[in-house]
Amino acid sequence: MDIEEMKKNAQFLIDNIKGMDIPGSTTLSIRYRNMVNFAKVYGITDPKYVGPEDEGVIACHAFANFYTIKAIYKLLLGFKLNQDGRERGLALDLGKLLHAGNRYNWEGCVDVKPGDKLTVTGKCIDARLVEKNMMFFTDFLVNVKNQNNEPVCNITISAGFRKGGY
Amino acid sequence: MVKISDLKVGQVLKDEFNGITRELLKEYAKASGDTNPIHTNDVVAERAGLKGVIGHGLLSFGFISKLFEDFLEHGKYGKLIEIGVQMRGMVRVSDLLVTEAIVKKIERKKVFFDVVQTTITNVDIKNKDGKIIKQFEAGERGYISENDIERGLVKKKEVPEGTLTYRERVATPGEAIIELFE
Repeated sequence: MDIEEMKKNAQFLIDNIKGMDIPGSTTLSIRYRNMVNFAKVYGITDPKYVGPEDEGVIACHAFANFYTIKAIYKLLLGFKLNQDGRERGLALDLGKLLHAGNRYNWEGCVDVKPGDKLTVTGKCIDARLVEKNMMFFTDFLVNVKNQNNEPVCNITISAGFRKGGY
Repeated sequence: MVKISDLKVGQVLKDEFNGITRELLKEYAKASGDTNPIHTNDVVAERAGLKGVIGHGLLSFGFISKLFEDFLEHGKYGKLIEIGVQMRGMVRVSDLLVTEAIVKKIERKKVFFDVVQTTITNVDIKNKDGKIIKQFEAGERGYISENDIERGLVKKKEVPEGTLTYRERVATPGEAIIELFE
């Protein structure tokens, strides 16, 4: 793909996805086993995060990684656009996709517990091309709520696409 | 006990983790659901031009939240409000991952930190004749680039066996906010 085509594609994406809600939502069921296994990777031993299920165990903060990855892949794969009469996804090649940044905000949020059903929705809040290295960046605001409609984490994810990936 | 009056601007919280192994990356892939083989399969990573597996960006991110959870004794003295980072440098197997949080500002019960994660990547050890007597994975697989050298990231220091060449690079700069109860 030449530079002009990349610039054209980047401009198409900027015009069409910036400010756009990602279609649909995704739901994740949280299992005790997933939470505890995740915490153990980090060597966490505090019973608050790895104790028995019936003693009020909650997810450690890093567990946000678990639902972030699952959600973003599901949401991004569902992203369909029509460019010049052809359907395309946000990424033309997922192998060119880089996780460039991440922000978790838990202010006003509740803990994640086993049995929770989380619903994830997302919106593209920025899209830009850096011509110096022809990297294309998008920022997504992802809201995660539990079955009671209470927020559990607000996430901003920055994704970068290398040449040929957008 | 951690109280707001005990904290000062410039104070540093620090953690060092030297357990980044292929086994840990596999464990994390399974636990997180991020099963992209560039993190677990050297052949696939090499085909992608990476010279070997790389750590998941969010794996190292998790050590930042753990630093604060440990500091707050798991919610006993306060809560974690926000962490934001840019993922700039790859984290490799055998890297020493150093996580530091520096108090930038204190407002009422909220404490604002600059966060930086640095990787220390050992390359090789040479004897006084300049002969390599020990080579690490980064040396074998060629993880150090010309760009790293030009940027002055590759350094040397004397160790008991000889002269150690290593790279010191900021992998993850960012910020964090916590709120203390007292």
